[in-house]
Amino acid sequence: MRFLVQKYIAGLLLVAVIAFAAGCESDQSVHQVSAPPGLKTYRHAMDQAPTSLDPTQAANVYANHVVVNAYDTLYAYKYLARPYQLKPNLAADFPTVSADGLTYTIRIKPGVRFVDDPCFPDGRGRELLAEDFVYSIKRQFDPKNQPQGAWLWQGRIAGLDEWKAAGSDYDQPASGLRAIDRYTLEIRLTRPYPQLVDTFAQGYSAIVPREAAEKYGKALGVHPVGSGPFRLVSYDSSRVVMERNPYYRQEPVDLQAEGYDPVEQAYTGIEAIEGRSPPFLDRLEIDFITESSAAWTSFNKGNEVQFTTVPIEQIDRVLADKNPIRLRPEYAARFHMYSGLEAGFVFTAFNMDFPELGYSPDPERNRRNKALRCAIIKAYDWEARNQSWYFGLATYFPGIIVPVSPEYDPDLSRDSVTLDVAGARRLLRDNGWTPENLPTLVYGTTAGVTERLFFEQFRAWMRAIGFPHDKVVRKTYATFGDISRAWKRGELPLVAKGWGLDYPDAENTLQLFYGPNGSPGSNDANYRNPEYDRLYERSSVMLASPERTAIYRRMNQMVTDDCVAMTGLSRTRIYLWHKNVVAVPDREIVGGFFLKYVDVLPVAQTRPEG
Amino acid sequence: MNEFSSVAGARAVNRRNSIWRKVLRKFLADRTGVAGLAAVLVYFVAALGVWCGWWGTDWADLGGSKWEAVSAAHWFGTNIIGQDIFSRAIYATSTAFEVGVVVAVLATIIGGVLGAFAGFFAGSWIDELLLWAMNVLDAIPFYLFVAAVAYSLAGSPYAMHVAMITSFWIGTGRLVRGEVIKLRNMEYIEAAYAIGLSRFMIIFRHILPNTSHILLVQASIAFVSAIKAEVILSFLGIGIRDGMSWGLMIEESTKEVLAGFYNNFIAASLLMFGLVMAFNALSDALQDAMDPRKVA
Amino acid sequence: MQYVLRKMLTGIPLILGVTLVSFALMVYFGPDMTYQLLGKNPTAEQIIEVRHQLGYDQSFIQRYLAYLTELIRLDFGNSSSGEPVRSLLAKTIPVSLILILPGFLLGHILGVLLALAAAFWRGRWADKLIMAIAVIGMSVSFLIVIIAFQILLCSSDGLNLFPVRGWNVQSLPDYLSYIAVPTLATTFVALGYETRFYRSVFVEEMTRDYVRTARAFGLSSRRIFFRSIFKNCLIPIITRVMFSIPQVAIGGSLLIESYFGIPGIGKATYEAIITGDQPVLKAVVSLTAILFVFVMTLNDILYRAVDPRVSLK
Repeated sequence: MRFLVQKYIAGLLLVAVIAFAAGCESDQSVHQVSAPPGLKTYRHAMDQAPTSLDPTQAANVYANHVVVNAYDTLYAYKYLARPYQLKPNLAADFPTVSADGLTYTIRIKPGVRFVDDPCFPDGRGRELLAEDFVYSIKRQFDPKNQPQGAWLWQGRIAGLDEWKAAGSDYDQPASGLRAIDRYTLEIRLTRPYPQLVDTFAQGYSAIVPREAAEKYGKALGVHPVGSGPFRLVSYDSSRVVMERNPYYRQEPVDLQAEGYDPVEQAYTGIEAIEGRSPPFLDRLEIDFITESSAAWTSFNKGNEVQFTTVPIEQIDRVLADKNPIRLRPEYAARFHMYSGLEAGFVFTAFNMDFPELGYSPDPERNRRNKALRCAIIKAYDWEARNQSWYFGLATYFPGIIVPVSPEYDPDLSRDSVTLDVAGARRLLRDNGWTPENLPTLVYGTTAGVTERLFFEQFRAWMRAIGFPHDKVVRKTYATFGDISRAWKRGELPLVAKGWGLDYPDAENTLQLFYGPNGSPGSNDANYRNPEYDRLYERSSVMLASPERTAIYRRMNQMVTDDCVAMTGLSRTRIYLWHKNVVAVPDREIVGGFFLKYVDVLPVAQTRPEG
Repeated sequence: MNEFSSVAGARAVNRRNSIWRKVLRKFLADRTGVAGLAAVLVYFVAALGVWCGWWGTDWADLGGSKWEAVSAAHWFGTNIIGQDIFSRAIYATSTAFEVGVVVAVLATIIGGVLGAFAGFFAGSWIDELLLWAMNVLDAIPFYLFVAAVAYSLAGSPYAMHVAMITSFWIGTGRLVRGEVIKLRNMEYIEAAYAIGLSRFMIIFRHILPNTSHILLVQASIAFVSAIKAEVILSFLGIGIRDGMSWGLMIEESTKEVLAGFYNNFIAASLLMFGLVMAFNALSDALQDAMDPRKVA
Repeated sequence: MQYVLRKMLTGIPLILGVTLVSFALMVYFGPDMTYQLLGKNPTAEQIIEVRHQLGYDQSFIQRYLAYLTELIRLDFGNSSSGEPVRSLLAKTIPVSLILILPGFLLGHILGVLLALAAAFWRGRWADKLIMAIAVIGMSVSFLIVIIAFQILLCSSDGLNLFPVRGWNVQSLPDYLSYIAVPTLATTFVALGYETRFYRSVFVEEMTRDYVRTARAFGLSSRRIFFRSIFKNCLIPIITRVMFSIPQVAIGGSLLIESYFGIPGIGKATYEAIITGDQPVLKAVVSLTAILFVFVMTLNDILYRAVDPRVSLK
């Protein structure tokens, strides 16, 4: 028997070897691209994969990171300036604006080429012209592309909506958007739009050649053809690989003009790029790592991804001090750090269309509902949320103007974000609310575990002011799409969400409470205050000025006084990167624009001593 | 089995009773099995206490601060928002029993009945249809199927249960079908026909009871599978809706272990491991005790 | 040959069933992609437009028939990222296969070997040890195993031997280093199940009457084992291995793929389910069904090769 078993083992091993050999063969058939040695490669990491690289789908920070590197945009944000500032990118300069603020003339740089691609007649990239920009914006108004960016220009740039209504024929002109000559654009607005230039720094406005869009159709989303600093090598749900675009225009870096601050930023070694023309990398790889633990492990290995956001659960291990934020020595020896507030915030709005807690036709009930909302706001424990989820590193603030906006007012009363259980209970009692007549609070979240704990925390706070356990209910949604549907249809009384700024102007968050933007628009709270709407309309055509800031702040106060939302909190993000990487990475606002400035030194040069 | 040659059902019933006694005797002789049963009973008492409100009632309260260490007040420490991990782990025991029992019982009933029908009518269109249904459901990869059911029933607290039952009954169904094909040709069944019993009567009174050894073992397997699947499904975000489960605790802990906080992970995975292990031991012992060749 | 064709034809109802069930579940009642494709500030009119583009405004029958047409032409169009589904599958399936195959084979081979040992020494300490380990292996959650192995073997807190992320396979050593931990984890978890299953198969065969008879006639146990038992056990072994194939090829290993960031079919499909990416779902479901029928046919043929008594009716 022993002999027999041996024979079987031998036989089975043989099978295993054959199978293994077969495995290796199929291995070769899998075409995987990898960095040949000697190429300067930087491996970036993001916590989510973009779903498409088509500029019409550049809805989030992930897609934007890749899109603005594969394509060109007219404007960009300065690499190092904080607060964030715009600069011309493909445009030769800032636009010339007519006296009434309605006509913009923009000249673009001549001689810019698209990358080589079979979509061009001879396979060689042709020159990028003003007409290409016109074409690219029109794509956002063509329903066939299921575009997501039209809202930036809808009703603002003349003629685009009519162009769409007439069937989105690219050969037809749109009255307000045209190329006067090869390098000059003229844009006519229906009313002044101070944020227009900001919209031209977004992935949505990236410039696509018509040949590529027509040849690849939907597959343009995986086959970008642009004129950005990098060109695509491969892209799937786990990473994107890009290589230097050999035709990218030579523009030496002027650190002064990029807003370099030697005091704050010299530690990064960024001065090494002064006077050189980006991109400095031969190859750029971005890994999409959803699990923060995997990202962290990969980053710490030293030979994998070279950048990470510090996962929230690692904060205590990594930081020696939180105010100011300082790394522990063992991390400081190996990594560079940058920290900053996110350009956005999280908040939970009441849906005012629910008569049980929002607008009621009965004035008495209306008054009691307001008291109820104010009590809930008082019971919301921002400090506890900050401590448990953000290690006390986040900033919570009253109202809806976020700290990174230039219009933020640090001296605002913090009553609306200060826990006051006794006050809340008193408010409920004085207005006749009892555990029996309190409405059921339905808290919608996506299915994640963190969202569930957010809810459990919220339920415990509500129980503290007298809500029975079963009157605070969670409704889960499988995906973000599903919960958005519930928001857009106004199905949830509480809307807990985050908003990322598209541009650093408080208008971008104030529009969240503008009446005409009610569901399915971005005003999920369905807040309708005629005075607020009037102020919004007035300020939306104003250029930045102290007067506009004053109006913004008045609107902000209205949202606070009417108890429309538990708001808000901006998270602090802490980025680490390997010491041989020369960069100031910041995914807020500047976003993907920083990648072309990244340089990588040979490792030997940067080994920390001791 | 081939000794089941009595004339009518009555004697088969007697026979069955004596077989059950033998099974019991054999089971009690198996020390691992008895230990498994004892452990399962301990878990059951823990769950019972939760249902009766004796303990685990404060699982949703914010009774402490973030990530407290083990103490007299919090036996397993507290989680990220200050909830008591011991209460949550105990509360999760009742969830495990709820999920396990609901899935095991329903999957076994459905599998038993449909399998018996398929076997009894083997070769007919009923059998073909049931086999087709089993094949169809088998052909869809399990987790993808469960995810799809969970999403299409989004919002229902029982989406996960439905999904598991829909896939777990098939194994039982196939086994029962095979057993029934063997049974239906036995003399006592023919005798039952002869004295004019209806087919349904025969299936439910005379055939299904004789597959009980399969059903019992399959139910215990389904129970364990359900508890284990719950962990994965919770990780994928399609587990239970409200309340607490070990899967949710493990999911909570995936990030915490990297921050050096292991309480959730250890509490949930040890408790789960204990129950699954005990149940596996129990179901092994049952299987051994009921192996007809050994009993007969 | 004719038999094979006939068998394949009988697979058509199965394919129809699988596609119908999956279509209803994943596509018709599945997540609505509309709201993922809308900008931040959509109008009611845009919502209608997008729903129309995605075909949500058509009836169930219309959509299912359209799906069947696509199935016959084997062309499912482009995924939501714009990539043709065909190229998506061509990219992801091989990755899943070479990722899963080593663990899959190892699990089965080691399982058979351990089961042989356990069955041979049935009732003795070796059997008890093997079975105890198998039960332990079965009682640990896969998720816990993955997390533990990743910390132990891949992180700088542990041994730091293998890469966590990347999946950048150029050479054999690359390949081995990437699959090492996933293979360990899958084998670890599968082994308990395989060993128990195969042991029960062997034990069942060993207690059959003919074995006793053969023994009574004085045949050596080695001879019996080799000539009869193992051969008779081949059928359940083949069935088990074969029927795992569609699960492995299509299901991939969702957890492994998402934890190690490997661009395989399991992850792609799961993402398609949760976002409601219809073209991908349709393709995967069809492929699964076809593969299943194929495996059933192949299984029948192998039965015949192993055991001539099984006639191909």
